Amino acid sequence: MNLFSRGMLFQLLIGKSVAEALLVTAVAAGFYLTTTNPNLRGWLDQADKETVSGWAVDDGNATNRVDVQLFIDDRFIEQRSANDFRPDVHQAKRAEDDWHGFVFKTPALPPGEHEARVYAVYRGASATRRTLQIIGKPLRFRINAAPRQ
Amino acid sequence: MALDSEPPTTDQRASSAALTDRTLAVWEIVSVASSIVIAEWMLAAAAGFSKAIVAIPVGLAVLLILLSQRVRGETLRDIGFRFDNFLRALYLLAAPVFIFAVVCLIIGWRLGSSFDFFRWHPKRYLVWQLALGFLWALVQQYVLQGFINRRAMIVAGRGWQSVLMVAAVFGLLHLPNVWITIITLLAGAIWAAVYQRAPNLFALALSHSVMTWFIVSTLPPSALHHLRVGLGYFF
Repeated sequence: MNLFSRGMLFQLLIGKSVAEALLVTAVAAGFYLTTTNPNLRGWLDQADKETVSGWAVDDGNATNRVDVQLFIDDRFIEQRSANDFRPDVHQAKRAEDDWHGFVFKTPALPPGEHEARVYAVYRGASATRRTLQIIGKPLRFRINAAPRQ
Repeated sequence: MALDSEPPTTDQRASSAALTDRTLAVWEIVSVASSIVIAEWMLAAAAGFSKAIVAIPVGLAVLLILLSQRVRGETLRDIGFRFDNFLRALYLLAAPVFIFAVVCLIIGWRLGSSFDFFRWHPKRYLVWQLALGFLWALVQQYVLQGFINRRAMIVAGRGWQSVLMVAAVFGLLHLPNVWITIITLLAGAIWAAVYQRAPNLFALALSHSVMTWFIVSTLPPSALHHLRVGLGYFF
């Protein structure tokens, strides 16, 4: 193989590597954008033995009510829509109306430490995938043993 | 200092050129293998894109293979598209294929698999499926032997080292399907060794197609996982 041919092959290999690196980057970015909603906002305000509550808003579609799922100790508990009355969220200019709150009733749990997580459900453009994005931060709470009679 | 250094001798130049040739050959093997890995593993992950996006890495690999063969002056005959050594290649393949078939029957029998020589694609005529299998095998053998094996021989010369290199590439491209990876590792070594003695892609493709038919017909379908590889293995 002469020098010209070797140089041509070298350039081809460099070009192919760059093209594939760009392709993989584009697919990775595309995957992130189609499975994640960067416009989701929300917070988990409180969790105790009675209720788990907070709010969730989709800034990209403010009239939409976000579906949220409650997990306690990594176990799915319930799904519902974040459409409860929360005027404080609207007043704080986090939402365009008063109806973006959620309140879950805490199920019966054994005594001890527990962790509540709430996730927003994102359907994306494709019907083949649904993803969950955490709302705020997980909250830990304690259930005390029932007093003896 | 550069001014004091003597110009390289002819031997040094030849050695340097050989090293560059070997480096380029390694890079070519890695480049084509990486395109196949991207295609295999990206397909199921390409959310929001058309699955046709896989044509990009495959197209780039094909472009590299064709241009590399042109630059290196390889003819179709060199690559193995020929008939003069077809019978010799078949003769070299006969014993390994026969042993492979017997081993498949024994393993299948030991695992309690039911033998069914019509289950490769039950909705297609077997002859048609074998013909399609032959064409797909020819494409794989063209890339594996006509390109990767020939570059492996530039890197390590003829012999067990280049044979192992080809087998390793072929086996690893079938991950994470463990059964198929082991089978392709062994079969890849046999085909690479035969190609180095009698480079004939038609004979290799024929044995490839027959061996695939035997695997599908004798080994348990649950173990083969529908011959899926890459990310598609998990779906």
